Amino acid sequence: MVFLPPPHLASASRPAYAEAYANILVAHRRSPLTSASSVIILVAPDVDALCAAKILAELLKQDDVMHRIIPVSGLADLERMKDELVTYAELHTLILLNMGAILDLSSENWFGEFSMKLTVHIIDSNRPQNLANMFSGGENGERFIVWDDGEAENMGEERKAWEALTYEPEPDSDEDSELDDQDEVRSNEDGDPDDDEEFSEQGPSGKRRSLGDGDRSQEKRRKLDDQSTRLSREQRDTYHELIAKYYGSGSWYGQSASATMYILATVLERVDCDFLWLAILGLTFQYTTARISRDTYDKYHSIYYDEVFRLNPLPPDVAANTTDAITAMSPDDLSVRAAEELRFMLFRHWTLYDAMYHSSYVAGKLGIWKERGRKRLTGLLAKMGFSIPQTQQPYAHMDLDLKHQLRAKLDSIAPEYGLVELTYPSFARCFGYRASPLSAADAVEAVGALLDVAGGIRMEVEVEGARHGGEWFGGGRLWEGGRNGEEKREKRIEVGSRQKDGDDHADTDVNGEERKERTWWVKNFWAAYDALSDIVPLRDALSLAMSLHRAIIRQGTSIIDKQDIRTMRSHRVVVLSKGPDLALFAHPGVLARLGLWLVDALRDRLPGTKIGGLKGRGKKSLPFVVACLNERTQTYVVVGIMGALDFGDVRRNEFGLAFIEAKQRCNARSRHSTFDASVLEIEQDDLKLFLETLCEVGEGY
Amino acid sequence: MALPQSLRTSVTPLELELIASEQLVEIVPLITMEKTAFISGAYGPLRPPAKCRIPLWMATNLKLKKKCHIVPPEWLSVEFLQERLTRETSRPEFSKLPFRFAEIAKVILDVASDDVQNADKIKSLLKDLREARQAKSRDGLQKLDHSELSLPNLCSMEINEIRPFFIQSMGILTQLVREPSAE
Repeated sequence: MVFLPPPHLASASRPAYAEAYANILVAHRRSPLTSASSVIILVAPDVDALCAAKILAELLKQDDVMHRIIPVSGLADLERMKDELVTYAELHTLILLNMGAILDLSSENWFGEFSMKLTVHIIDSNRPQNLANMFSGGENGERFIVWDDGEAENMGEERKAWEALTYEPEPDSDEDSELDDQDEVRSNEDGDPDDDEEFSEQGPSGKRRSLGDGDRSQEKRRKLDDQSTRLSREQRDTYHELIAKYYGSGSWYGQSASATMYILATVLERVDCDFLWLAILGLTFQYTTARISRDTYDKYHSIYYDEVFRLNPLPPDVAANTTDAITAMSPDDLSVRAAEELRFMLFRHWTLYDAMYHSSYVAGKLGIWKERGRKRLTGLLAKMGFSIPQTQQPYAHMDLDLKHQLRAKLDSIAPEYGLVELTYPSFARCFGYRASPLSAADAVEAVGALLDVAGGIRMEVEVEGARHGGEWFGGGRLWEGGRNGEEKREKRIEVGSRQKDGDDHADTDVNGEERKERTWWVKNFWAAYDALSDIVPLRDALSLAMSLHRAIIRQGTSIIDKQDIRTMRSHRVVVLSKGPDLALFAHPGVLARLGLWLVDALRDRLPGTKIGGLKGRGKKSLPFVVACLNERTQTYVVVGIMGALDFGDVRRNEFGLAFIEAKQRCNARSRHSTFDASVLEIEQDDLKLFLETLCEVGEGY
Repeated sequence: MALPQSLRTSVTPLELELIASEQLVEIVPLITMEKTAFISGAYGPLRPPAKCRIPLWMATNLKLKKKCHIVPPEWLSVEFLQERLTRETSRPEFSKLPFRFAEIAKVILDVASDDVQNADKIKSLLKDLREARQAKSRDGLQKLDHSELSLPNLCSMEINEIRPFFIQSMGILTQLVREPSAE
């Protein structure tokens, strides 16, 4: 497994993204069995992976490479997919987007058993990555290529430690080392890849995995062999500690997958506005879901800012950064512009009052869940010069001069209420005359809502004018994704067949439900994928996002009101077992959003707890565990979120490890249903025990 | 044709577009290609940045993959179309335009509007031209008689529009002329 340095660190001897991509093309054109299943892209269900998939698909389409995109929801799904992929004879390239970094992909459980001509590319923003993926060389190793963002350069220590531990002989196989020396000499002469099988049957250490092409590691091994026959105990311990520290410090996120794809497109000199927009969406997704800190966001933002001005030159008479700049110049104007974004949720599509009410930042500072807080909000708006009817107007109908003054007024008056960081620089895209310009944050919200709840659950969506005695007063309408009609037909057929077969086909029932369960999120995935390129479904999805937010606020305020948050020694727990939106929150994505909202809302009101790292170096943070009952399967979905004390900062999420340990200790029946280790599905009866064990685990730090 | 019998009165605009795509257009290629043989002929070699003439269908394909820039033909410019429009509106007969201008203009504006200068103005000029000529062809149909219909300088899409009508009506008129005593 090789890691690819990003292009700015590439050199002639270290191939970078462009060469890997060129190799994909070459493999595609040369293999005689090329079909649509030769290049398969497995995509995790989040917005960033979706954007990256879209960029990659477009690049491949421009190069006439046939490919398939397959969404994968979690580890179980990946295993199932792997079993299916083994049967594809013509598969020669596999690309994993936002998944697989932590797995040791060359082991037999995963892709170690696949044929030699398969190359696996891993483009993942999850960290930590499996060190075996990054550093092991050799011919078996070069099948797995990790596209790195430059962080691997700083991992020299971990690399040394890992290589030493993997390639050094164990202390109890001293006599093997002489034999191995001779074998090494022999194999150097042959250079035959069949040595793989020979050596794997050798000692239990399996250290000589293959001596194919890893020149550097070969030399290093010879050097280490020459210098000392084995590592001293202290060295071994330090190495173990280093690696444990790397894996044990929690999970964080690196460069987004869509940024990696965008860099590839830049290197191939094929960027255009669409790719830039998708890369921006990936970055904004990472920022709004608190995966990266404000500093990282600013760093990438400045890169994209320059790109925007390079690709979309503004006519000279329009100043940048004014509201005029974000109006479509012509019916075909599809350009991206830089704009300041307010932290209000979807504020260009809601009334101003609603936008401020539903944003977690404002909610936290003003205490929206109490009546007093709501009064403060209206007070703030009144101070800025907005009368109550004006704030209840949808943004599109608001007075023009109010819109212009909004930012200035906010800057001057909001600090009195403690709302300081209200804006952050971001981007907006014009869609010609088809729709009003859409900001990146709104687009991310819409796509995320589609991914989570486009199908499979009843969502009521508000019709404009349904409030305050408007023409549609009291009416809502059911969200209908384009595919809902087909779903209903499917359900009818299923019911019919079930009645025919009777009771002794309980298995098919379960399977049918499972299939339905699998297929609804696949449909969501494709709905979101289509919405990325078409503005009409994207705009419709905004109303879906709004009702999703409403549900989250409802639930969140009721939790805080009823003081449902139990404080354990090291973290806080919320368990949802009843409520109107229970089915909605059984989805891990929605539950995670609720958790983030709670963290944001309660940031100032709760003292942070010290979560120590491996040596008691602790940074204060706000750990939250949210659990929701899934009535249909009688399980609880548990999500762990590590909030930071300062807005715009992020902490490494240590809940993944904590969950795994607690699970092992109390033998709970549970499974990880997504790629995120901090999301767990656990049997109903085991929840209490699990939560208690989790507290003990927290103490162990 | 794949249309049901009831709709087969004439060629469809999409088919006309396909036929028009056979015409050669100039491109600035971004990739290199040797002289390659296709069914309709051998085209190339493509050597950037030298211009080359290839059929419109191939130019469209390359453009969609961002491998070339299309050079709009000289009649697809604001001055030319403006001049023709003034001529169209000032004189009763049709002005001379390339025979398949509507299809070629549509294809180029769809695919390569960034290569065309003032694409919006050109679109509005094309629309004005079409309306002016349509008015004239409607008037011209009044002069329909059984033996000939002369509308010089009509372009392929416009002919296609009125073809079903005047074929049928000329047939009926011929019958009427042949048997004037039937009333």
